Amino acid sequence: MSEPMIEVRHLTKRYAGCTAVADVSFTVAPGEVVGFLGPNGAGKTTTLRMLACYLPASEGEARVAGFDVFRHSLEVRRRIGYLPESTPLYPELRVDEYLNYRAQLKGVPGRRRRQRVSEVKELCGLADVGRRIIGQLSKGYRQRVGLADALVHDPELVILDEPTIGLDPNQIRHVRDLIKSLAPRHTVLLSTHILAEVELTCQRVLIIDRGRIVASDTPDKLRARLQGGREVVVEIHAPPPEAAQRLAALPGVARVAADAAGAWTQFRLECSGSEDIRPLVFEAAVQHGWHLRELRQEKQSLEDIFAALTRGEQETP
Amino acid sequence: MRAFFILWKRELTTYFYSPIAYVMMIFFLIIMGFSFWLLANVLAQGAPGVSVMRELFDSLFFWMTTLTLAPVLTMRLFAEEKRSGTIETLMTAPVSDPAVVLAKYFGALSFYGLIWAPTLVYVVILRMFSPLAAPPDPGPIVCGYLGALLIGAFYLAIGLFCSALTRNQIVAAIVAFALVCVAFFSGFLSFMVREEAARNVAQYVSSLAHMRDFARGVVDTRPVVFHLTGTALMLFATVKVIEARKWK
Repeated sequence: MSEPMIEVRHLTKRYAGCTAVADVSFTVAPGEVVGFLGPNGAGKTTTLRMLACYLPASEGEARVAGFDVFRHSLEVRRRIGYLPESTPLYPELRVDEYLNYRAQLKGVPGRRRRQRVSEVKELCGLADVGRRIIGQLSKGYRQRVGLADALVHDPELVILDEPTIGLDPNQIRHVRDLIKSLAPRHTVLLSTHILAEVELTCQRVLIIDRGRIVASDTPDKLRARLQGGREVVVEIHAPPPEAAQRLAALPGVARVAADAAGAWTQFRLECSGSEDIRPLVFEAAVQHGWHLRELRQEKQSLEDIFAALTRGEQETP
Repeated sequence: MRAFFILWKRELTTYFYSPIAYVMMIFFLIIMGFSFWLLANVLAQGAPGVSVMRELFDSLFFWMTTLTLAPVLTMRLFAEEKRSGTIETLMTAPVSDPAVVLAKYFGALSFYGLIWAPTLVYVVILRMFSPLAAPPDPGPIVCGYLGALLIGAFYLAIGLFCSALTRNQIVAAIVAFALVCVAFFSGFLSFMVREEAARNVAQYVSSLAHMRDFARGVVDTRPVVFHLTGTALMLFATVKVIEARKWK
């Protein structure tokens, strides 16, 4: 296997009195698009800032393309394009001036600069606004200018902190398509607290909660992994204790919870196996002469997985 | 080095995007113009023994402008980048911390030089129309400008340092103004304290005394070294402040 693009080992960041990132380890292979998912205040931005060489780690190490982010900071910074969360820009400059300046600063040689700037402008949908002053652009356009800045020197690794925040749905779709188009030429690490974003753009998800990585997998596998714990909801007209006993006896049922409402009782069956138990439930109902009003399987979305993994999360600033 | 020039160019051009620079330029030229008009008046009356350069470089007007110019020209440099968050994109670009500090500093110093440049016209006018028997010596003129540059260099470095400490431009300007005033008024201690040693020290660090010498055409190496080391110290401290985010 080739050298990982990002290699993070036991990364910890402590601020006075609180630990923002605690013992985080992960790797990202070249060409991957990885989503960094977590509730607000989970440590996403801090981790990205450490990778972008803006903040030093308290403990542990991080490497980008084989270079340590602290000791070979300049080498790392040459290889990354970083878009901070608030998309900071110089409002007094024109789009062209800004992108030219940034390309210069990031060492794009003179003869390639003009070409690169017009390429990223095309890519980010800025072709018509080159002469506009950044301060007068809408939030969506400013976000795109930030994105163009992150890409202008053709970096190996693109780090985007909340790239679609504050955009309208059309712009979000555009940015997502853009991010997808970056792979496999570029490696992308993006953070978000929007689950749909990860499902749509990323090949792999890292879920971070209170400074710790709680899951790391593809969106599909994450879902599959938690499918074992899915639930079947059945509402029948039957005496609860007896029906509960019989339902619990069905193969593949781990636990039964009853919720009586008049003559009807709603049972939630927690399944342990991967097989669909609904036919068995139906047969049992027929066999015992229960009236069946509802029978459905609750499919876990990534939202549920997220909620399950970050349960009990308290809002931290 | 490459990054330094790119940043320096951006810092210098940024002055012309903001109204503060134009306001300061006009303020400076009005006051220096008034100072020159007073000088011309004195000369027209044929007052003997006037040290021409002292009227320009050692006047109340000179100090008034220099003491206000430095904080105002430097207050934006780091504070604004911190407030708007652009410090993050700046410091994650492949540029070293000293390059950023030096580029900002020399950007400010270059603009300070540009503000002074129009006053060269006064010198030309004086040499052409001076009623004195002999036109003013070039020596004191060159020394006067050298002194203005040295003192400006030191005060701008103080201002840059203050700007790096905060994200609020106003706070940066006020703290810088307080510090340049300390640097300026410490010279007055030599009139106030009786202690011989303290008076000597005050004499050495007195910008007022230095400038008086320069305006007379005397280049003493002590004030030159004092201002250059002061500048270097402030720039070093600024680099450390910028690096300090990495110590937390």
